[in-house]
Amino acid sequence: MIDDETKDGVPAPLQEGSKRRPKRRYDDARRSEEVASVRRAIRYELDPEDDDDAEPVREPVIELDNISLAFDEPILKEVSFVAREGETIVVVGESGTGKSTILKLILRLLVPDQGRVSIDGEDISHLSFEEALKVRQKMGMVFQGAALFDSMTVFENIAYPVREHTNLGEDEVEARVREKLEFVDLEPDKVMQQFPSELSGGMRKRVGVARGMANNPEIMLYDEPTSGLDPLTTGTITRLIMKLQRELGVTSVVVSHDIRSAFRMATKVALLSERHIAFFGTPEEMTGSDNTYIRDFLGGT
Amino acid sequence: MTPFLKRLNAAAKGKVLAIQDYFTLAWKALRFTFSRPFYGSDLVQQMDVIGVQSLGIVLLTGFFTGMVLALQSSVQLKTFGATIYIGRLVAGSMIRELGPVLAGLMVAGRVGSGIAAQLGSMKVTEQIDALNTLGTDPIKKLVTPRVLAALLMLPMLTIINDFVGILGGSIIANIYLGLPSSLYWRTVWEQIASGGFTMRYIPNDFIQGLTKPFVFGGLIAVTGCYFGLSTTGGTEGVGISTTRTVVTSSILILVVDYFMTQVLLAFFS
Repeated sequence: MIDDETKDGVPAPLQEGSKRRPKRRYDDARRSEEVASVRRAIRYELDPEDDDDAEPVREPVIELDNISLAFDEPILKEVSFVAREGETIVVVGESGTGKSTILKLILRLLVPDQGRVSIDGEDISHLSFEEALKVRQKMGMVFQGAALFDSMTVFENIAYPVREHTNLGEDEVEARVREKLEFVDLEPDKVMQQFPSELSGGMRKRVGVARGMANNPEIMLYDEPTSGLDPLTTGTITRLIMKLQRELGVTSVVVSHDIRSAFRMATKVALLSERHIAFFGTPEEMTGSDNTYIRDFLGGT
Repeated sequence: MTPFLKRLNAAAKGKVLAIQDYFTLAWKALRFTFSRPFYGSDLVQQMDVIGVQSLGIVLLTGFFTGMVLALQSSVQLKTFGATIYIGRLVAGSMIRELGPVLAGLMVAGRVGSGIAAQLGSMKVTEQIDALNTLGTDPIKKLVTPRVLAALLMLPMLTIINDFVGILGGSIIANIYLGLPSSLYWRTVWEQIASGGFTMRYIPNDFIQGLTKPFVFGGLIAVTGCYFGLSTTGGTEGVGISTTRTVVTSSILILVVDYFMTQVLLAFFS
């Protein structure tokens, strides 16, 4: 199901790779901001409405190559897929099939037993803990329960990654926090001084998105972004994820079992079944498939 | 037989691994003390939580322990007509043993459980993973400040504990035995001086009495962090971690106290 394109993006070994592409370093927030704004302008010129436009061949950003992982029992077996720049990959599948594990592998919170995870062509499987912390700065993660720090206010939560990785002054940090809160449609003056426990589930998720994107990452990862939310809030969060992709051009991986919102935001869908990927392709291809398992899966939701 | 041996093997391996993890955590926490970035405000906050906020219970336990010590021993000493030594007895046991151990046990109950509960709930709500993904080492941000704060604050609490304990003893000696407090405090000093001095001015009893809480502080914080960070299984898991922390650190304090006493006695007497 993975086409030949995987092969031309095969990364050189770690050191070579980092020598070859010295410009693609991590904490280059300005670069990704510039790229995003240029991309946004071009997109708008080409087609102000449609976000599904055909672009020239895009670079692979996240590559999972033949990943296997087992703890006490196997969790993933020979899983491969590629997420190219600006794409949204939605990983769907039954509960307990190791969907969230994929995100942890991309974040290098876990290391695969076999296979390779590459970010921007750099193999991250063999990085040291400190190096992995740096690679993670390219990514923003939105956790299932938002995972906001409950001892900190909303402001401090969103400011946390900014303070941690940039040398911005307090005024600039506040400007950044306000900008992100406005992006996720929350009123900064209302929520900034509140604690996570005072927010509703949907608001907490949105603050989680704001914190994830605080350092303008090129990759956004979402773990069950719509689970436990009412249909209206589900719609809001889905639109927010699409807005991030459309306006900032981030590459996203969404883990979800909500097929309806998955189809709305996905460039490609990966269906995980029995520890391996049973299908990888566009939503249209998936609905058009005559595979019984896929039909059952779609029919069952 | 074989399945039994297999299970035994797995259990033993698990225990050894856990001990290894425990020491790795302690080592990392201490190593990060000297590397950037420093989380100074977290350290100050933890010193407040672990030290200042434990003052109340430490004052209470110290005061009453000193009083009961004086009360019990006054009965014994009276039969020998040796009530004049009550200051020596209270000071000796408070400074060398009861001060450090009681402060340690109280802080283990109050602070160790708090650390385990906080880190445990951060673990089950994925906040530890969130720290990791935001590019922060959770050990550095959460464990190091707690361990350092405990190492620094427990000796302080012990000094206060010792002092109010001896003070409590003086009140009882005065009320029940009619011992003038000037005489009481002179015997206290005699007891301290009788242990000898290191470098002419530092009483050996003080060295003994302050090495222990330093070690206990580290034990309490590392145990709390270890069980907190290895929490699994939701809110129920948090409860289990908290209980384990209090039990394990209390037992460790008592066991380590015995062995430390043996070593310290070999050095200082």
